[in-house]
Amino acid sequence: MTTRPTILVIDDEPQILQALQTILGEKRFKVVTANCGKDGLTLAATSAPEVIILDLGLPDMDGVEVCARLRQWTQTPIIVLSVRDNDRDKVRALDKGADDYLTKPFSIDELLARVRVALRHRSSQSDSAPALITSGAISIDLQKRLVTRDGLPIKLTFVEFNLLAYLASNVGRVLTHQLILEHIWGANQSKGVENLRVYMRQLRQKLEADPHRPKYILNEAGVGYRFALSPEL
Amino acid sequence: MRALPTLLPRYFILIGVTAGVTILLELLRNVLDAPLIILIYLLTAAISTTVWGLGPGLFAAVVSFLAFSYFFAPPIYSFATPSLQDVIALGIFLVIALIISRLVRRARNREQDAIDLYELGTALANTRDEQTSALLAAQHSLKVFQAQAVALSIQRASQTLITVQLPEGVLPSSDPQATAPIQTASGLMGQMRIWRANQSFSATEQRLLRTFAGQTALALERAALIQTENRAKVLEESDQLKSALLSSVSHELRTPLATIRAAATSLRNGEVDWDSQSRPKLLTAIDEEARHLDQLVGNLLDMSKIESGALMPDWQWNDLNEIVSSVLNRILYLPQSHSISINFPNDLPLLPVDYGQMEQVFGNLFNNSLKYAKKETEILASATVEADYVRVEITNEGSSVPEEDLTRIFDKFYRAKTADRVTGTGLGLSICKGIIDAHGGRMWAENLPGRFAFIFTLPLNRAGLPAPILADEADPL
Repeated sequence: MTTRPTILVIDDEPQILQALQTILGEKRFKVVTANCGKDGLTLAATSAPEVIILDLGLPDMDGVEVCARLRQWTQTPIIVLSVRDNDRDKVRALDKGADDYLTKPFSIDELLARVRVALRHRSSQSDSAPALITSGAISIDLQKRLVTRDGLPIKLTFVEFNLLAYLASNVGRVLTHQLILEHIWGANQSKGVENLRVYMRQLRQKLEADPHRPKYILNEAGVGYRFALSPEL
Repeated sequence: MRALPTLLPRYFILIGVTAGVTILLELLRNVLDAPLIILIYLLTAAISTTVWGLGPGLFAAVVSFLAFSYFFAPPIYSFATPSLQDVIALGIFLVIALIISRLVRRARNREQDAIDLYELGTALANTRDEQTSALLAAQHSLKVFQAQAVALSIQRASQTLITVQLPEGVLPSSDPQATAPIQTASGLMGQMRIWRANQSFSATEQRLLRTFAGQTALALERAALIQTENRAKVLEESDQLKSALLSSVSHELRTPLATIRAAATSLRNGEVDWDSQSRPKLLTAIDEEARHLDQLVGNLLDMSKIESGALMPDWQWNDLNEIVSSVLNRILYLPQSHSISINFPNDLPLLPVDYGQMEQVFGNLFNNSLKYAKKETEILASATVEADYVRVEITNEGSSVPEEDLTRIFDKFYRAKTADRVTGTGLGLSICKGIIDAHGGRMWAENLPGRFAFIFTLPLNRAGLPAPILADEADPL
């Protein structure tokens, strides 16, 4: 029997802690809980979790601050939980190094999907990126810079390819507008998000069967983009 | 006093007029007696005084007198040494000119006062807030009394509510030349102070100033009343809103809660067998109703934001295509019987909108269309670019709404009468309209032949948000 991955949940609401403990426990995870940021930071160091689930509304400190402090010493994937009204905190946390987010109330399916992505990225952190990425009908050859759909080549421009390659190498993960802009145009470029929107539109028109119902490149409202983990075709 | 050059023509005209009168009298010499002739000259002088004032009046009196004594007083056609009678006549001429000019001036002053008062009155009548009223009163006083400075202060409950100083800056350190209380039946509200260089206020001016202050007091009192009334109205409306909200919300909250409790308890107390087909149905019901509750709470929050004016769009250049696609991905239970198709032009420009709020708009409009559209029909969204805005139309094959209700469907808690079986709070459309209004657009509904349409516009540009600078493809290479 393999060891059960540890998940640290930092949330101040006892009902949420209890529910997650029960449900994630059922799914063969070891669950450690903390009800404030201070305890959470301590437990992150002592219990060596594989994934951290962090609520942004904590009583003792700013959730974004917790995120930033964790990132000073660990690369453990962080999934932040937020409510609809603090969208900005969510983006700040993602920019500070959180890996993903969920808006309360969420379904357990969504949470488990996020945890799976996080665990996968954790295990592949040390590996070198694969040269060929396939997803649904799309395959992306990073070395030859070739993209095909159903075996037929798709012509992409330089920037379009870079965007697609970046998103696809982080499949399932949400990438903030800021992160993508910095990755494509460099940290000290002051390109606006509107550029991204235009390129994404072009990319979708070339890639998606129906650009209005994208299966590969998904929007995360006000946050960024995500390459679909398993496109439902 | 006006400069002499501008007045000079008047004196020439007066000489001309007197000459004309003289020629006329010369022709009528045989018909008219000397006393009548004097009266006619007097009339000329009197008219001159009435029209042009004291100076020209006196001038006309002297010229007329000279003309009379030369042409008509014996010896005719020569100036004799003035007799006592002539001197008295001249005196009468001058005194009459003087009296008339004073009467005329007084009448003019009264007229001017009435005009000033009227102007202040009309200006004040159009204002609805206290600050503007006070400012108007100060401006008028400054102009009318040709003052150096005017200060107006209003106190309420021993606190200074409003102070106006004109011209802005430091007031003269000396005592004001005149003060007037701003007082109404309910008590002293404040006072008005006026400074004027080297000129004290006459009794008439002081009276006018007090009348000004009285008018101002009335206007201020009225403005205060209007404000109180507005506050009362807002309170009343929000009270009505709250009770409508409570009745609507308690009903809307209870329905899903009832379903959830019924499903959860029946699953828990073993009434439903483990392998029963109802199990997944009950579980789906719990999930769907919980989702419904979440949406309801979201709508309530949005509504309260719109109501309190806290809905500030986060303006960014966004692609409507992208917004619509995330909305479509989120409509999870799209009924099989309906389809949604999007017909946006490929070159639709980026628009200055709030991403999340526009998601709300499209989401609510699609949901509403899905609720009311006939089965097996298509919901169609299209966009067209006009001169300085984009027009978005979302149509469905639903039954038409009576013309008189087309605007009412955007009111809070309004629900189509035929919609008894459809659930909802009646908030969705009013939220949409609130958001579009905040974006500087317009939203309305129309009955089209066979279809029902929601239409809204969004401006192409936003003041203060620079146009998007799009990178050239060659740029990053």
